Amino acid sequence: MSVGREHAERIAVLARLHFGAEELDRLTEELNHILQHVEALKNLEDGPAAVHSEEGAPQAWQRGSTRGSEAEVPDTLDQGLNEVGPDWAEGFFVVPPLPGIHKDEGA
Amino acid sequence: MTTLAKAAHAVGAIQELEGGRTPLNAFLAVAHPESLVVANPEGLLAGIPLAVKDNLATTGFDTTCGSKVLEGYRSPYESTVVRRAKAAGAVVVGKTNLDEFAMGSSTENSAYGPTLNPHDRSRVPGGSSGGSAAAVAAGLVPMALGSDTGGSVRQPAAFCGIVGIKPTYGRVSRYGLVAYASSLDQVGTLGRTVTDAARLLQVVSGYDERDATSDERPVPDLLGAVDQGVEGLVVGVPDEYLPDGLDPALRVLVNTALGELEEAGAQIRRVSLPHTRYAIPCYYVLAPAEASSNLSRYDGVRYGVRCAEADLISMYQATRSQGLGIEVKRRIMLGTYALSAGYYDEYYGTAQRARRMITEDFRSVFDDGVDVLFTPTSPTPAFKIGERMDDPIEMYLSDVFTVTANLAGIPGISVPIGSIRGLPVGGQVLAPWWQEDRMLAIAGVLETRLQGAEV
Repeated sequence: MSVGREHAERIAVLARLHFGAEELDRLTEELNHILQHVEALKNLEDGPAAVHSEEGAPQAWQRGSTRGSEAEVPDTLDQGLNEVGPDWAEGFFVVPPLPGIHKDEGA
Repeated sequence: MTTLAKAAHAVGAIQELEGGRTPLNAFLAVAHPESLVVANPEGLLAGIPLAVKDNLATTGFDTTCGSKVLEGYRSPYESTVVRRAKAAGAVVVGKTNLDEFAMGSSTENSAYGPTLNPHDRSRVPGGSSGGSAAAVAAGLVPMALGSDTGGSVRQPAAFCGIVGIKPTYGRVSRYGLVAYASSLDQVGTLGRTVTDAARLLQVVSGYDERDATSDERPVPDLLGAVDQGVEGLVVGVPDEYLPDGLDPALRVLVNTALGELEEAGAQIRRVSLPHTRYAIPCYYVLAPAEASSNLSRYDGVRYGVRCAEADLISMYQATRSQGLGIEVKRRIMLGTYALSAGYYDEYYGTAQRARRMITEDFRSVFDDGVDVLFTPTSPTPAFKIGERMDDPIEMYLSDVFTVTANLAGIPGISVPIGSIRGLPVGGQVLAPWWQEDRMLAIAGVLETRLQGAEV
């Protein structure tokens, strides 16, 4: 895979960077040189896609936070407000009882 | 000499060298002698002058990350590692030079000029923690803090003939470490000796609720581990780290080190880590991808300099284009490309698979009874200033033996194993996750037995 000058210009816009013509030409050439080296990854045999190590890996990964390419993100707009909002009873939000106060004791 | 006098002496020495005719340019900021305080005269680091890499947030100094974009930026909070070091009595005497945002292997990418290697001023000190390594090697400070994303503590330690430790990912808090590639970044320690580097690591290690990736496991006795000896330990030597083209003089030093370990009671075993060849391509997809996201915040709105332009987007572009250096821009471009629609799976997804396989290689040899691995830290001694600046790949390859530890999250240490034509070289000990003590035991033996080895 190689990057053309126009493509490099588009990447620069995405990255909020601006380059002069000469600088962009040099950078395009360097990117292609690096990508050529990165092509070695294509020889990689099939294996698991993401890092989920049980031991020694960052805890954030263990919690499954690594973004997969086809990760399913629940759409909160598909859920009713009742499902995502706090519990509601007799016109009030239900909150946990204060410490030391039991439900049957009343207010 | 009182505890404070040591730090005052260090500040004087730094000012004399850096303000003299042959400065190393190791420091970007030096403490005012009157501002020095020993917070804990009884602590493990009481009165010890400490240098801090300038990508670690400090309230007493600017934190520039070696970049123009953060020129004059003063952090409102202190990084956890600096806070812990001070609480143990250390005195921060200055902030050290680095490759801009820790992106580089030579400390030539700093917006404030390159740092020179104290052993040969025509050569680089390695990077990106080159300022910290040069400061320790020149005897200006006994220990320093750095950061290691792909070898940025271990490689400069090797080039400067000192000791550098990258702990297990999660062992040391990253709170206040300016993010480059968050899943790879780890704060590390540098010292004149294994004991010095271990002492600093002992102090800064441990759980920190401010870093979600910091781990709750107890920190072992790292200082005590240095003198534990290596009797019965199995040292694996991966074939992939001793390729046919390796400098024969370096091979001799590696073999000498292995011979000493064997004599001290360790068993040496050849092993294979077959996915090592994917490490550099994998690293140079993942690290730039994370960098492109992490560095998007330097847009002139919240930090440092701002270039006035007619509209918001032009202001972002002008600030970033003028404030960031060429290597940083190169990696941001590479990362943005790797993460862009249509290329994400091809590059980022594949690199994640490679990372998994590299990690499994390590797990497999450690599960097979190998206690630690021993390799050279870098394929060559320090190279000439400017020698690799025009060829990014050639520069990236100086980290070929160190990036794998970051990809897998395991700890590593570089310890001097001798010199080639007067230039120091390092040997690297890699240990399983959370086994820094085992790694320090090996390094302690090598340090004692290899004083002055030369080829």
